[in-house]
Amino acid sequence: MDSETPVLEVLAAGAGMTIQDLGRSGWKRFGIPPGGAMDLESARQANLLVGNKAGAPVVELLFTGAKFLVLSSSELAIAGAEVECEWPTWRNFHVEPGSEISFGPLRAGVWSYLAVRGGFAAPRWFGSASANPRAGFGEPVQPGARLSCEKRLPAEEISSRFVPELVREEYGQTPVLRVWPGPEWDGFTEEARREFLGQTWRVSSQSDRAGYRLEGIALESRLRMPSAPVVVGAIQIPPNGQPIVLLRDGPTVGGYPRLAILDASRVSRFTQCAPGTCVRFALA
Amino acid sequence: MDDVAVSRFGPVALLVAFAQKVDLESLARCRGLLSSFQENRLEGLVDVTPAYCSLLLEFDDPEHASDQFDRVNQLLKAARALPVEEAPVFEIPVCYDGPDLEEFARRNTLSVSNVIELHTAPVYSVFLIGFSPGFPYLGPLDVRLHAPRLDHPRPRVSAGSVAIGGEHTGIYSIASPGGWWLLGRTNAEIFSAEKARDGGSADAFLLRQGDCVKFLPVEELFH
Repeated sequence: MDSETPVLEVLAAGAGMTIQDLGRSGWKRFGIPPGGAMDLESARQANLLVGNKAGAPVVELLFTGAKFLVLSSSELAIAGAEVECEWPTWRNFHVEPGSEISFGPLRAGVWSYLAVRGGFAAPRWFGSASANPRAGFGEPVQPGARLSCEKRLPAEEISSRFVPELVREEYGQTPVLRVWPGPEWDGFTEEARREFLGQTWRVSSQSDRAGYRLEGIALESRLRMPSAPVVVGAIQIPPNGQPIVLLRDGPTVGGYPRLAILDASRVSRFTQCAPGTCVRFALA
Repeated sequence: MDDVAVSRFGPVALLVAFAQKVDLESLARCRGLLSSFQENRLEGLVDVTPAYCSLLLEFDDPEHASDQFDRVNQLLKAARALPVEEAPVFEIPVCYDGPDLEEFARRNTLSVSNVIELHTAPVYSVFLIGFSPGFPYLGPLDVRLHAPRLDHPRPRVSAGSVAIGGEHTGIYSIASPGGWWLLGRTNAEIFSAEKARDGGSADAFLLRQGDCVKFLPVEELFH
């Protein structure tokens, strides 16, 4: 197959569709966030299922509603949110021209990943295909767009691969996620720290790739400080006492006290907490 | 360098605290540390984020973060402050017609022309680049122009907006949410996504930490 031959045509983009990979590093001192797939683990898995390197460009889907028409025969895999689809998820599958792939009702989770053998062709910014339209790195994928493969790989089908259910995350349950004390941990009252760890937080609808807001009993936050470095997973407490968990397209520095830091290995799971669902935190 | 301390910041990062207050000395210390971490490669280091009083070192895994703790301490001891000398001065045209200009003048009991005079008088230093791509935090800012951030941040501030937040002034480099007072706007290209293509280059950013900025009041911006 020629690498210029389009593989899929986007019939519907659903709630939001961008190209992502594992993100960029080394540019935070210029204010460039890492970017990359919100659920890095699922994006990696989708790639490995079709025999790609873990960091090949994938399509990231927000919620559901996306629909594709297959234009040329290819090997695909879907991982991430628990969404209804006529094609299998968490295993590779072969498609022929004329087939359609549509994402139906969402049972749990937020982000889904579609990988193609050879990776999706995409431009790079600071070495990564991760789209960040706000920064001028690409645009959301629109209906009518044709997606091509980046690499020409042997045409024959690859062997069947799957991710066993046992090792997959359970998105339907309230997770208890590991956090570390942030630099301002000791500056919060003991009551605020207890409230943070003791209550069940609800994910706000004011959440996006830059960060998720949480709603619950407000934490007392009186610290004032000059802007200081933050990371993906940093949990800031603004004056209204409702935590903000910074994510992949978030700022590189922030002026709100950093109460805690979500363990890097739990960030992917956290991003699959849909608005309105709950999350708890436990100190590492 | 004395009075500098390193601590854990979660499992994969180390935080270096180098100052208690923001001034030209803290900027010199920050630049000195940054240059030391650029000259002496730390194994597994993937990103460095400088800020006003601290600097973050992010590693690729917890082992590297732990292993490099002592080495970071050694580098801190050997590092020297790097004061800004003969930094390039960027003259940036500003049309002072921002939506918050009049209210800002009122709350600081100044006239609009006083605000413009005070804001354009100094040569500012770029204390840090951060928040969004290429966004410069400029200072020191005349104390008469200090103002706490807006109670209700705007969901969208246009690129090129020249603004004041707290004790600093800055230029929004891309359209983003923002809680600073909008005094004016510039057509200077602070960040170019086009120059970020492929591997990217530092040319994508107009300004660097330590550079100098002078605002020039103009009636109209020419494209």
